[in-house]
Amino acid sequence: MTPAEYVDYIVLTADEIEKNGEYVTALDAKTGDGDHWVNLNAGFQKLISIQDELKSLELAPMLRKIGMTLMSAIGGSSGVLYGSGYIAASKALNGVETLDIRTLGTLLWAELDAIMERGKAQPGWKTMIDSLYEGLESYQAALESERDERAVMEALKEGARQGRDHTREMEAVKGRASYQTNKGVGELDPGAVTMCIQLECLSDYVINNKL
Amino acid sequence: MMKKIMNDSSHVVSDMLAGIAAVNPKVCYDREGEVIYRSEKRKKVGLVSGGGSGHEPAHAGYVGTGMLDAAVAGNVFASPDPARILKGIEYADSGEGVLLIIKNYSGDIMNFEMAGDLAQDMDVKVKSVIVKDDVAVKESTFSTGRRGISGTVFVHKIAGAKAEAGGSLEEVAELAQRTADNVRSFGVSLSSCILPGVGTPGFVIEDGQMELGMGIHGEPGIEKTTMKSAAEIAEIMVDKITADLNYSGRETAVMVNGLGGTPLMELYILAGEIDKQIRSRNITPVKYLVGNYMTSLEMAGASVSMLRLDDEMKEYLMAPCSTMAWKEGV
Repeated sequence: MTPAEYVDYIVLTADEIEKNGEYVTALDAKTGDGDHWVNLNAGFQKLISIQDELKSLELAPMLRKIGMTLMSAIGGSSGVLYGSGYIAASKALNGVETLDIRTLGTLLWAELDAIMERGKAQPGWKTMIDSLYEGLESYQAALESERDERAVMEALKEGARQGRDHTREMEAVKGRASYQTNKGVGELDPGAVTMCIQLECLSDYVINNKL
Repeated sequence: MMKKIMNDSSHVVSDMLAGIAAVNPKVCYDREGEVIYRSEKRKKVGLVSGGGSGHEPAHAGYVGTGMLDAAVAGNVFASPDPARILKGIEYADSGEGVLLIIKNYSGDIMNFEMAGDLAQDMDVKVKSVIVKDDVAVKESTFSTGRRGISGTVFVHKIAGAKAEAGGSLEEVAELAQRTADNVRSFGVSLSSCILPGVGTPGFVIEDGQMELGMGIHGEPGIEKTTMKSAAEIAEIMVDKITADLNYSGRETAVMVNGLGGTPLMELYILAGEIDKQIRSRNITPVKYLVGNYMTSLEMAGASVSMLRLDDEMKEYLMAPCSTMAWKEGV
């Protein structure tokens, strides 16, 4: 996967996030501020608007640019978390030219670690982390049992969906939902939903285009 | 009905910072970054603080000789984003490194630490100290824990003096941390406050009531109770603080801080009662500050901060400084 192809994946993801606006916002209105989708969408639309510049960059600088852009354009906590994730991925892949099935994992694990550290949050806290964490655990298991590329990416997607769905029964520890008496139990976490969309798009892109 | 002296409620932060820069020739204002920074830069460790607006004179009022080099403002009660903080770091950096003084709120910590990481990528040495002085909140490793409130101003002062005296980043950070470790605060609120962009109070404290331990953004306190006398309030405040840290036999600096809507007359009445409480507990007050140092818009009420001093902290507490909101020895 070349840096330019990664940008193509970002563009597809931005379209998919755009399509899910009403659903995510309705979900967020139940447990949060109701602004998660608006902010995230603004961030990804900003990436679309600079896609030519992104495509001109090598992998690590491109990931850093994505991080800085999302940080400013999403704003708030989500902006910082996505920014931290992409900037950490940029550092982890310094000098790497293209992504293969293993370095894609390096990218995602670096994002997960950075988001957990920056947000001082753990899996199981009803956040975006849950989709990424369960997706990566599933990806790693498939990778270590030497499944083929398609199976590994399917595992990533399936794990991410399970992580997203598990947030329904989790109690929120941080953020607005944690102030509710039921801690948001019974509803999916909007951040986990939008993270899952990104991982589904990544998986589909790799399956359809090969690395 | 909200009555505030302003032009446009969506521009209150930039209009305020422009006003501060207009009346204080020792500072400049970067409108893009919402940063107030010293107009004259010296080669020394830089100090940066900031946070949501609405707590004036914190933090822009503490920019100047002997205290901060730059203060970064967020919107009212909202943390500034990392890009703004990075601007502040750039203004404060003279090559000797930068110390970030952060109040313990999850948004501030995330944004300041991210900015610190970005600055380190640009080869600026950065350290940070997190202030968590509000004893109304239980310290916890699970949640964000104690909030940072008025005691933060002591950290600005003492770390600022150490930096002015030529301390290294490590020395300044160590003294700042020691100051943060030795300061405790407790506040009481008598009325709510109105965010300019909202127009109505976010909560109500009923007639004849007060809230013990409320945060500077109106976060719930530990108890709502009937309004008490100054003597009773002082006893509660000093009880809470001294139950958390042993000040007995120690020299102590004391700040009696107004939250924005309480007249100085009442703050001096409270200060007199605090003095009685402190002396009755064998604590020696060597420095008092009475006034509005970290406010919550027009909220009525007060917080008390007590800093347990050692010789080095005392030396730098008493050292000269010249800022809009704290002048010492000038």
